[in-house]
Amino acid sequence: MISVAVIGTGGLGSRHAANFAQIDGCRVKRVYDIVAENAENCAEPLGAEVASDFDQCLTDDIDAIVVVTPTDVHAEYCIKAAQAGKHIFCEKPMTRTLDEADQVVEIVEAAGVKMMVGQVLRFFPEYQTARQMVQEGQLGHVGMIRMARINLMPGGWYCDLQRSGGVILDMIIHDFDWLLWTLGPPERIYAQGLYEQLPALDYALCTFRFSQGTIAFVEGSWADATGFRTSFEITGSGGLLAHDSTESTTLVAQRRGGDEVDESAYLPMTPAAKSPYQIEEELFITAVEDNLEPPVTVQDGREAVKLALAVLESAKTEGVVDYA
Amino acid sequence: MSGKPRIGMISFAHMHAFSYLNVLLSMPDVELIGIADDDAERGRQVAAEADLPYLESEEALLEEADGVIVTTENVRHREKVLRAAQAGVDVMCEKPLATTMEDGREMVSACREAGVQLMTAFPCRFAPAFVEARRMIEGGELGRILAISATNRGRNPGDWFVQPELSGGGTVLDHTVHIVDLMRLVTGQEPATVYAELDTVYNPELKVEDCGLLSIGFAGGCIVALDCSWSRPPHYPVWGDATMTIIGERGNVAVDLFREHLDYYDNDHQSYTWAAYGESPDHSLVSAFVRSVRSGEPMPVTGEDGLRAVEVALAAYKSVEQGGPVSLPLQQ
Repeated sequence: MISVAVIGTGGLGSRHAANFAQIDGCRVKRVYDIVAENAENCAEPLGAEVASDFDQCLTDDIDAIVVVTPTDVHAEYCIKAAQAGKHIFCEKPMTRTLDEADQVVEIVEAAGVKMMVGQVLRFFPEYQTARQMVQEGQLGHVGMIRMARINLMPGGWYCDLQRSGGVILDMIIHDFDWLLWTLGPPERIYAQGLYEQLPALDYALCTFRFSQGTIAFVEGSWADATGFRTSFEITGSGGLLAHDSTESTTLVAQRRGGDEVDESAYLPMTPAAKSPYQIEEELFITAVEDNLEPPVTVQDGREAVKLALAVLESAKTEGVVDYA
Repeated sequence: MSGKPRIGMISFAHMHAFSYLNVLLSMPDVELIGIADDDAERGRQVAAEADLPYLESEEALLEEADGVIVTTENVRHREKVLRAAQAGVDVMCEKPLATTMEDGREMVSACREAGVQLMTAFPCRFAPAFVEARRMIEGGELGRILAISATNRGRNPGDWFVQPELSGGGTVLDHTVHIVDLMRLVTGQEPATVYAELDTVYNPELKVEDCGLLSIGFAGGCIVALDCSWSRPPHYPVWGDATMTIIGERGNVAVDLFREHLDYYDNDHQSYTWAAYGESPDHSLVSAFVRSVRSGEPMPVTGEDGLRAVEVALAAYKSVEQGGPVSLPLQQ
C-alpha cells in the first residue's frame, strides 16, 4: 500500500486527492493546505488526516508527496520532500524559475526518489494520436503546427506573474511540452504577450522554429469570455490533421430553468473509462510500486519550464531567443 | 460624369478577374466596354463567352474608359497602372499592389500626379462580418484592441503564382496583404515591427515559399500573429479562409469571413466540399470602385492602403534574411 500526502487542496488538489484515493494499492493518508478549511473539506470525504504543517507529511508513514500548490512554492515542497526520501508527484509547471528547476533535478536525483511532473497532455488520447501520426510520417514533412489553448482569466494567485508565470508558464506549457515530446527542442523562439495586462487578462502568440524545418505556433488565451477549449492543426507534405475540442465532445448536458446562466448549465464532456488525470496518477503509483522510471521525468519537467521561460523572455525583450 | 461609367478590364491572369467580370455584368448602371489581355487567346475567349468586345490594343481600351480593373500577374501591375495614369483613367488594381516598394511608390505618385484615382482590390474590407466587427470596434464596444490572431490560409494556386519572376513571391506576398489591411482598420494603428518564419514544405519543388507565419507589432502596442500559408491540401473542402480573433480590453470578436457554407457530399465525385452561400464581398468591392469612378468621390480603399500592406509582406522576407524582427517603414 502506497500512502500519499497531498499538499495544496484547492480545486485541482482536491481532484487529485480524490483520484489517488480511488487507486488500488494507494491511499491518501494526509492532506495539507495553508488554508486549514480547504484541507478539512478535502480530507473528510476521503477519511484522510489533516496535517497542521508540512513537516507532518514527511513522517515515515508517508511514501509519496503530491504537490498541487501555487507554482512559486513547488520547488520548496519538492526539495523538502526529496530530502526526506519521499517520492513526488508535482503538478506542472514543475517550478517558477530555471534555478529552482535545476535544484529540484539535482536534489531529486541525488536522493534517488521517483519524481513525476503532471504534464497531463501526454495522456490525452487526441494529443497521443497526433504525436504518433507525426512520428510515423503520416503527415509527411511537417510544415506548420498550430496549437491553441483558450480559457477564462483564472483568479487568485494566477493573476500574479511572479507567482504563476501567466498564461505562458501556467497554461500553454502543456503545448510546449507536447512539442518537446514530439519534435525535441526548437532552434529559436519569437513570442509576443500581454502579460502586462495581468490581472485583467493574459494572451500570448508564440512562434517556434525547429531544425526539421517545422514552424510551430501556440496561441494561449486567458482572455476568453466563454470557457475552456483547445485545438490544433498539423499540416505537412502528407496532409492535414486537425482537432477542435468543441467539435469532438461525445456528451453535452444542458439544464433548463431559471434565468441564471452559470458555468455548469452547459457542460460538454468527453467521458472516458479513465481520465488523463487518472492515467497519470496510476502511472505514478505504478512507478513507485515497481521501481520504474515515471513516464514524465523530472528532466522532462525541467525542459518544459526552460522552454516556457524562454518564451516569456522573448515576449519581454521583443527579440528572438536562440534556443539551440 | 453624365451617363454610365465606362469600365474596361485588363488581363485575366488572376482568377479574381472572373468574379469581378461577373459583378460588372450584373450591374445595370455600368457600360462594360471590353477586355484587353496580353494573352490574346485568353482575352478573346473570355470576351466571346461574356459577349463583350476584345480590344487588340490596350491603348484603345484606355482611350474609351473612365475606369479599368487590372488583374494581371503581380509584377505587371506597375506597367498597367502607370499606363492607366498616363491615359487619365481611374484604376482598381488587384492585390498585392506591387512586388517592390519602389514600384508601389511610383504607382501611387504617378496616379496622384495624373489626377486619377487608384484603388487596391481589398474585398475582405467589404465582407459583412468584417463590416460589423469594425462597427463594434469603432463604436468602442471592445475597448482598445490588444491582440489579433489571424489566418489567411489557402490551397497552393499554382500557375504563375509559384513563378517568382511573375508573382514576386509566394504565399507571404499572396496572403499577407488582405489581413494586414483589415488589421490597420480595426486597430487604427500602423505596423511597426515584423518577424517571420517561412519555408517551402508542402511542395518542396516550389521556387517560392508555401508556409509562413508572421508576428507583427503595431505602433500602438497591438500584437499580431498571421498564418499566411498555402497549407490547405488540394482536396480540402474549401479554397481557404480569412479569420481573425480580436482581443480587446473589454471583449473579443472573432471573424471567419468565408465560413458560410453548406456541407456538400457529392456521390459523382466521391467528394466533400463546402457549397458557399451568402454575399460575395467582390460585389461590394466592384460597386464601390464604379461608384467612385462615376462620382469622383475618393476611393474607399487607396493605393497607399495597398502599399502599406505590401510593405509588411516585404518586411517578412527581410526578417528572414536578417534573422530577426524588422522595423517599419522599410528603408529605401
